[in-house]
Amino acid sequence: MSNFIFQALNGLSSAMFLWLVAAGLTVAFGVCGILNVAHGSLYMMGAYFAFTSFQILGLNFWLSLVFALIGAGIIGFLMERFFLRRIYDQPIEFQLILTFAFILVFDNLTKMIWGTMLIIPTMPSLFQGTIPIVGRPFPIYNLFIIFAGIAVGLIIWVILKKTWWGMKLRAAVSQREMANAIGINIPTLFTAAFVFAALLAAIGGALSTPIRVCDSGVGGAVIIPAFVVTVIGGLGSLKGAFVGALIIGVISALCTLYIPFIELFILYLIMAVVLIIRPQGLFGGER
Amino acid sequence: MKKVTGILGIALFLIFIVTPAVNAAELPKVIKIGGQGVTSGSKADYGHQMIMGAQMAVEEINNSGGILGSKVEMKFMDSELKAAVATKNARYLVKDWGAHFLFGIDSSGVSMAMAPIMPELDRILIICHGATHKLTEEAIFKKGLRNTFRISVPTYQDGTLPAMIFKDRPEIKRIASLAAAYSYGYSAWEMFEKTLKKYRPDVEVVGKAEAPFLHMDFTPQLNALMAAKPDLILATPWGGEGLMMLRQATLLGLFEQPWFKVWFQCMGGSIDMAEGLTPDVKSGKFHGKLWATARYLWNWPDTPRNKAFVAKFREKFGRFPNYSAANVHTAIYAFKKAVEQTKSLDTQKLIKALEGMKVQAPDGERWIRPEDHQACYTVPGGNYVYDKSVCPNAFLGNLVVIPWEKYYRNPPDYKLP
Amino acid sequence: MTWLVNILNLSIKSHRFKLVWLGAFIILLFILPLFSGDYLLYMVMQMAILCLLSYSVNLLLGNTGLLSFGQAGFYACGAYACGKVLLAGTSLLPGIIIGVAVAAIVAIILAFFCVRHTAIYFAMITLAFGMMIFSLTQKWVDFTGGDDGLIGIPRASLNFFYIFNIKMDTIPAYYYFVIVATLIAIYILYRILNSPLGLIFQGIRDSETRVSFVGISVRKSRLICFTIAGIYAGLGGALLAPLEQTITPSASHWIASTDPIIATLLGGMYNFSGPIVGSVIYFLLKDIIVRLTMNWMLVLGIIIIILVLTFRGGVMGAFRAYLLPWLKSRLGKEHKNG
Repeated sequence: MSNFIFQALNGLSSAMFLWLVAAGLTVAFGVCGILNVAHGSLYMMGAYFAFTSFQILGLNFWLSLVFALIGAGIIGFLMERFFLRRIYDQPIEFQLILTFAFILVFDNLTKMIWGTMLIIPTMPSLFQGTIPIVGRPFPIYNLFIIFAGIAVGLIIWVILKKTWWGMKLRAAVSQREMANAIGINIPTLFTAAFVFAALLAAIGGALSTPIRVCDSGVGGAVIIPAFVVTVIGGLGSLKGAFVGALIIGVISALCTLYIPFIELFILYLIMAVVLIIRPQGLFGGER
Repeated sequence: MKKVTGILGIALFLIFIVTPAVNAAELPKVIKIGGQGVTSGSKADYGHQMIMGAQMAVEEINNSGGILGSKVEMKFMDSELKAAVATKNARYLVKDWGAHFLFGIDSSGVSMAMAPIMPELDRILIICHGATHKLTEEAIFKKGLRNTFRISVPTYQDGTLPAMIFKDRPEIKRIASLAAAYSYGYSAWEMFEKTLKKYRPDVEVVGKAEAPFLHMDFTPQLNALMAAKPDLILATPWGGEGLMMLRQATLLGLFEQPWFKVWFQCMGGSIDMAEGLTPDVKSGKFHGKLWATARYLWNWPDTPRNKAFVAKFREKFGRFPNYSAANVHTAIYAFKKAVEQTKSLDTQKLIKALEGMKVQAPDGERWIRPEDHQACYTVPGGNYVYDKSVCPNAFLGNLVVIPWEKYYRNPPDYKLP
Repeated sequence: MTWLVNILNLSIKSHRFKLVWLGAFIILLFILPLFSGDYLLYMVMQMAILCLLSYSVNLLLGNTGLLSFGQAGFYACGAYACGKVLLAGTSLLPGIIIGVAVAAIVAIILAFFCVRHTAIYFAMITLAFGMMIFSLTQKWVDFTGGDDGLIGIPRASLNFFYIFNIKMDTIPAYYYFVIVATLIAIYILYRILNSPLGLIFQGIRDSETRVSFVGISVRKSRLICFTIAGIYAGLGGALLAPLEQTITPSASHWIASTDPIIATLLGGMYNFSGPIVGSVIYFLLKDIIVRLTMNWMLVLGIIIIILVLTFRGGVMGAFRAYLLPWLKSRLGKEHKNG
């Protein structure tokens, strides 16, 4: 039983990375209508920028997170402003292929800039060590991740529900024409929303570096589980992304413990079942 | 009339660009060698090390008169660790670019896919990394696909060597496996388990976990194994994944546990891992429990030849040579020796020359076994230490040297050692 | 220049002239082995297989408006099934036929789940099924060989009811088989798309509601379309197995599904010859870029970005929309001047 709890807790911490990427993915879709297959690459850029500032430039951990956000934010801005904006009203195949091309570009660029050496920084001394949970040592850093993920969720909730900007965003999502009519600048809002989505992914990437090696292939690898999560939760729903991430993270971890050989299959099976029974996901509404 | 000339012109043009001439009767002015390795993704360093090793070899050879006067030209392509890409590249390199010789290949799976097409392409392939014993024992020895050779140690290094090291340590009784979920991982564990049990029937397997490619989170597998409290874990995920796995293991406090004694990281001695592990080795996180081996270690043996190779490599590229670099370097020299002996590029003659050849590698002499084309040489195992005066990176110390005769399997019945 | 414009003009307008082009192209394909090396033939075979896969995507996309992100799954089914059959020792045709049949069966089964959805959900669910097939090929080690896949698939000889037995070991021999099979398959598809069924498909793409008003079951038509698409993808896979003699799980990964999508977009979604043109260009692009630089992903990515942002009708669309009118206007000017 303690094995079960411990493993579930593990699943919870890996769920947080899924949640951060899926959150960004779902915001990009919900607000801008873009299905951004390259969102995992933004996660990857966050990791690389964090690593560079933390390990190479020697800044402290929190400052390196900030740098990661700035870097990924700029990239997100450039992506949306000059490329994605042009295909908003295009059919989905163009969106998917354009963003897929971005995966190729980012993958190659990171290899050219950072080389092929493996990116894994030292664990910041603040987080070293373990805490006993159900009698087994649980890494402090993983606990930190769980709290960080929940904290980000709360921050997002506050922004969307309580701030003026958040209200504009929600208006633009549900009634785009009306929002436009009352003077909300839709294009700028979309850019801001996409940058916001990029920041979410970047935090995920930055936080992942001490426990997950980053390499140029990570962008393409991380997007698929994020997709599964977003679909299950419902495209466009942040609550759905969070719940979906928890489900997938915990189930993944438990599968590895009890039925390791079909872990991947089960994830996609869940995705397919959700799509068949309730395509809009657990919390998604009609788009 | 114009149209006919036009069509003839197109036809001639096509013939020129797509039918290369390979004349085996006399040596061409330029001998072309084609290499493949993984240069993208989490294992990209292995391919890049291969490129460096090849560049160094080609430069040395060309500066000292080439191969019997002919210059060597090298082309390297990304195999992406995929069989389909590797076979396509091989066809391109031989049929279109005109390669006289192929080398490289990182993955066990890709090695198995390449062996059957080499006779069709009528060229020799020397594999420099892919380790599955099935290549030499089944594909080459049993099935007779004799165009392929392997210059690097096979999974005997990953499986039987650690068994031979730890059979003499009575405190190792409970063993567990964290396997890479493909033939390499399965073979290595199978050999380790069977060999160890032969000498130590008291040993029991208390846990088995596996991780597919591109796996990012090993904590579930580590957890499952830790619950069983093994004395030793044999781990095969390599490259970036191996590093991640070890980092996550230290976070879980595995190396602090008194009951845990040995983590054997099969390809842990490779340079990308050494560089990545340095901070944690330096701060003593592994408590001397992290053991590893590789397919060549830069710091063994301590001969002038090896030292010179390492120094030259570092001067040229700024990094220590990985085993992929050293093995590619050796493979190219083996090819050179074969061509010099037979004075031709005829594939069958070269095969005969390579069978039984003794080739000089940076770490000493390697004998290419004629029965299954496997190079035989010794690589020790050791545990990770840090000594700034010796090397800026962590490296394997406390080396246990067991001669290859003691841990290789031999034809024709390939019994466990 | 006049003769060039006239030829181009006729090509678009005259049916007979199109047949002349087609005939020349087919003749070129058949005489290619006489003067080219093995690698070019190998490339053409790979293009043909990609072409079948692109037609599979195009059938769903250009004709019924559905983007499938999982055609690689059927491709892999065809490839693995054919591979297992050939490894059991049969001759070539049973392997190909069984490969196609397995892909068709899988397609029919999955069709029921997929065709309820449209647009983005269709893309997602085909992605999910494609990746389920991927995880099966990776994990069912006893049957599929796991990550190492099927190895040493024999390029069995073509044994036609014991009347004749043609060896396929050499590249040119297998080349003829692949070309003939592909041409027949494309012709069949052409007939389908120009039949009443084909008109229904296009109708569904343009306006679902109108089609259903006329009394045609949209769902049933989609089922048929999906199955046919699965068959073509499966045929591509089945032809691949003896060619490469190795099949690995990466053939079913979603990234493998992007190749035919890009090829279709490149060639042009709304022309019948789009997939052929797109497959040739995309394959050549990728093959040549890889030879020239290690940074092939960057170059390919940039080209795709430019393609999507500028030429949405693909090469054929750009040809009709830009090149031809430009040529005509140039011709008009020349005439005026003298």
